[in-house]
Amino acid sequence: MDIALRKKELVKEFSPMMLKPGKWSKIWIAILLALILGGLVAFVVQVTQGQEVTGMRDNVVWGIYTINFIFFLCLSYSGAFASGVLHFFNTPWKNAVSRIVEIITVVSLIVGPIFIILCMARLDRLHYLFIYPRIQSPITWDVIAITTDLIGCLLYLYLTFIPDFAILRDNSEGLPKWRKKLYTSLAIGYRDTPSQRRRLHKITKIMSAMVIALAIITYSVLAWIFSLTLQPGWNSTIFAPYFIVAGLYSGVGVIIIAMYLIRKYFKLDHYIRKAHFLSAGVILLITALLYGYFTFSEYFARWFSHKTHDANLLDTLFNDYFWMFILANYIGILVPIAIVFFKKLRTIKTITFAAVIAVVGLWFNRYLIVVPTQETPYLPIQDTRPEFVHYSATWVEWALSFAGVAAFVLFFMLLMRLVPIIPMSGIIDYEKKGKARRKGLTQQQQP
Amino acid sequence: MKDDKTTPSATNRRKFLKMGLLSGATTVAGASLLANLASEEELKASGEKIRVLTPEGKMVEVDAESINNYPEAHITPEESRKGIPGRKFVMVIDLSKCKNARTCVENCQKAHHLDYNEEYMKILLLQDHEEADPYWFPKPCYHCDEPPCVTVCPTGATFKREDGIVLIDNERCIGCKFCVTSCPYSVRQFHWSHKPKFDDTSQPYSPETGVPGEVGTVMKCDFCPDMLRQGKLPHCVSGCPMGVIYFGDKNEDMVTNGEETVRFSELINDRGGYRYLEHLGTKPNVYYLPPVDRQFPLERGFDVDEEIIERYKDVPYVQDMKEKGKI
Amino acid sequence: MKFNLFTYIAYILLFGLFLAPNVMAQEMNLRDYRMRFRFKTVKQPDQSRMLEASFIAANKKDRKDRLPVYGAEISFFNILEEEKVALGTTKTSKEGIARILLPKDQSYLRDEEGKVTLKAVFEGTDEMDMEEREITVKDVQLSVELSEKDSVQTVQVNAHTLDSLGVAIPLEEADVIISVQGMLSRMVMDEGTLEDGMYEYKMPIDLPGDMDGNMTVFATIEDHEDYGDVVQKKTVKWEVTNISNQENKNHLWSEVAPIWMYVVLTILLAGIWANFAYTISNLFKIKKEGQKLEQSL
Repeated sequence: MDIALRKKELVKEFSPMMLKPGKWSKIWIAILLALILGGLVAFVVQVTQGQEVTGMRDNVVWGIYTINFIFFLCLSYSGAFASGVLHFFNTPWKNAVSRIVEIITVVSLIVGPIFIILCMARLDRLHYLFIYPRIQSPITWDVIAITTDLIGCLLYLYLTFIPDFAILRDNSEGLPKWRKKLYTSLAIGYRDTPSQRRRLHKITKIMSAMVIALAIITYSVLAWIFSLTLQPGWNSTIFAPYFIVAGLYSGVGVIIIAMYLIRKYFKLDHYIRKAHFLSAGVILLITALLYGYFTFSEYFARWFSHKTHDANLLDTLFNDYFWMFILANYIGILVPIAIVFFKKLRTIKTITFAAVIAVVGLWFNRYLIVVPTQETPYLPIQDTRPEFVHYSATWVEWALSFAGVAAFVLFFMLLMRLVPIIPMSGIIDYEKKGKARRKGLTQQQQP
Repeated sequence: MKDDKTTPSATNRRKFLKMGLLSGATTVAGASLLANLASEEELKASGEKIRVLTPEGKMVEVDAESINNYPEAHITPEESRKGIPGRKFVMVIDLSKCKNARTCVENCQKAHHLDYNEEYMKILLLQDHEEADPYWFPKPCYHCDEPPCVTVCPTGATFKREDGIVLIDNERCIGCKFCVTSCPYSVRQFHWSHKPKFDDTSQPYSPETGVPGEVGTVMKCDFCPDMLRQGKLPHCVSGCPMGVIYFGDKNEDMVTNGEETVRFSELINDRGGYRYLEHLGTKPNVYYLPPVDRQFPLERGFDVDEEIIERYKDVPYVQDMKEKGKI
Repeated sequence: MKFNLFTYIAYILLFGLFLAPNVMAQEMNLRDYRMRFRFKTVKQPDQSRMLEASFIAANKKDRKDRLPVYGAEISFFNILEEEKVALGTTKTSKEGIARILLPKDQSYLRDEEGKVTLKAVFEGTDEMDMEEREITVKDVQLSVELSEKDSVQTVQVNAHTLDSLGVAIPLEEADVIISVQGMLSRMVMDEGTLEDGMYEYKMPIDLPGDMDGNMTVFATIEDHEDYGDVVQKKTVKWEVTNISNQENKNHLWSEVAPIWMYVVLTILLAGIWANFAYTISNLFKIKKEGQKLEQSL
């Protein structure tokens, strides 16, 4: 097999989706940009008028910004975890999904921290975090962990991009000049020589292990922001593992959704196949069971021992937040389990549907962790103006939340323009290993 | 121990100055000199008003002296981190005497330039269990010895001083609100928006007063260290008409409510003093005396604005009273 | 011209308003208020004598409504029958208090029993009536001694007056209050009656002094019909202090964190960054190899 020719073929196959934005793609970008613009307007309003424009008040000081922050970070964490595992154990079918996962990891790690910054009222003093650091504060840990994690993930993502940059550089006929230049410099002279290859493989493996460790640390630190306080509902020893399992659950969900959309939009049916969905579905099932188990343990212990303040919290959850609780902790867990559990029900569409429910359910689960606890403190909320008691997000917060989601999708699309969404080097590697493994999932089927 | 001499001697110097003038006051000239001094102080006074009667029989409002005005040097944010040497401040709140008169709340609001709706001191209506009668429960900041709010602050904007007081430096606060969520007593509040009163720079900012406030920073009860430096009681203590709140230095073993001074250890041991939510391990410096042998019926506390009563609408007792039409 | 005059007047009026921005007259009816004019004299620890008049209007209906009279001129006199010596004049403060301090060597007009009559006078205005109060006091020599008896600190109060020949006459039947000075107030320890000009009180052994280990004990005679107010104090080295010598440990809440936190964080970060550095150095090696290849091509 002529590898050079095969590379050319692959570049030819993938370059349309990298180069020519289609009509729909343009419309999508316009919509996303509009959403981001809306978010910018909301941001300006918040900066000029203060956080008065949000729904946060003295009793509930952390609202959906914090929820989005946890949500995006958990995507990143689970992405890093999944991608690290795929690389580290050299999973056979990794090639089709590994790049999607890696991009999700990095993009959500960029979008997530924006929300925690929005939650800080004095953006002009952010640098105080570095000028007057206090090592005891979980926020300091968070700042250190997230920046380290972000650097690690970017480095890792870059490592996985290098072979493809090299292929693109070598087959850049007909590409615009700036792209040629960009690929040449980004490929840093990678020629796929045996020694280069060995070296790259070695450091990619190290970084994949590193990224798993970093993700676990970062997400545990995030869980500790809540569980190290004394508040009923937060002060829980299982919060860190609970957050990690929950993160995996929603992360797998988002990966499935992304796989579905990319497959459908770019018509990559022969790369991202049903088998991928089935495997992802099984992982979704496992994580759903784990997550359900943790959720049950968490609330069951509180309910069974019914300490006054825990009982008050459960009271709030089952009265003021009844439907949200049902949606997040019953539907959000049981429906995906039910769909994926029965073999007959497992189709690409149903698995994606289960993933959507899982992701939405998980967002509401985060809401139920963050907000009701603040509305049910140790001392009853009295002698406070009535409008300060309950939280409901305002348009500013919603606009910025949707802008965050839009930014996530937009970044994703932009990165997809830079490198093929299916790693070409991986396809070639796979083919080089011979066609013995006929059932191999990334095997090329010539159209 | 070098620092501790500066404060008392500084106040002494002022006293000495006045004494000197006064002892010369046997002549009319001396007296008029004193009058001049008074009018000079008037010019420097802050925006606080008190009502007085003039010899012409008119009631006028004049600037009150030394409310939040330092008698001596300005206490800078750096200085305010040290605390008053050798002191350990404690508060004892006698729940049997509180009738929700709210003068502590109002005095505090006046002194800290708070709005009608902002209160460092909150009065809760607590009920320990179904059989117990509810009681009024004033809640300042507890200035814990293991303060969770200080632990979690990422920039050291909130800090605990040697004298036990937990303060906020709003020039360093980044508004992350972690301290608000970590306080188990819901003591902390937030400046959600800019207010015109923040622009009043007639008084330089000090963490010891929290005035002027700043948008996007936290605020809370501060035990009025500016008053303590002058040897005066915090505004809530001096304002309380019932003598509910005792305040003092634990090292001296003395607390006072402005009328009587008693030994802290005796008060706590004889009256069964306790700290609220002791099991949390925060070690508060505010003690409560249980609401036994109450001096006022609970209903006396509802002699307040309609709007204030509304704030207790979730208390079962209040709902009960409303049904019976008693409130 | 007329217009000009008008504006001038307006300006002057406005200017006047600015001159007295913090004085605003309010509607009130003086008849609702009862004037409380009080006068007392306190003999201070340094033997000087303070004269204090307090002038407060109290609402007859509303007990809480008390208005200090501010800026009222109060004159103090020492009188003996027809003789009258002005001691000083001062204005009441915003708390409604007028005070003067007479030095310890002030000479007073005394009657044959050695009594001094003092008087405080408010002359009155068109709106307010004249007020005056008179008190007659005898000069008391009060002394406080602290001594250790059976390892208990004992306060000994001695009080006497001097007759015209300078012979000390011990006080009888006067109540004395023993108190100690705190940071914010004075704490009353004991109240008793002087017998033969003497009173003794045993201090509790566990009462802490101030942070320097000092204790200031006060003996006061309050509002006595013959002696007025007399205050005396004594500071002694007090062995009991309560200041817990807390070690300056690193707490979670202190400025500097517990050491293990720095250690763990350093190890973690060093480990992670070592890997990053290793990865980056390998990337450079790859680049170098690529450059070599390019050159050889």
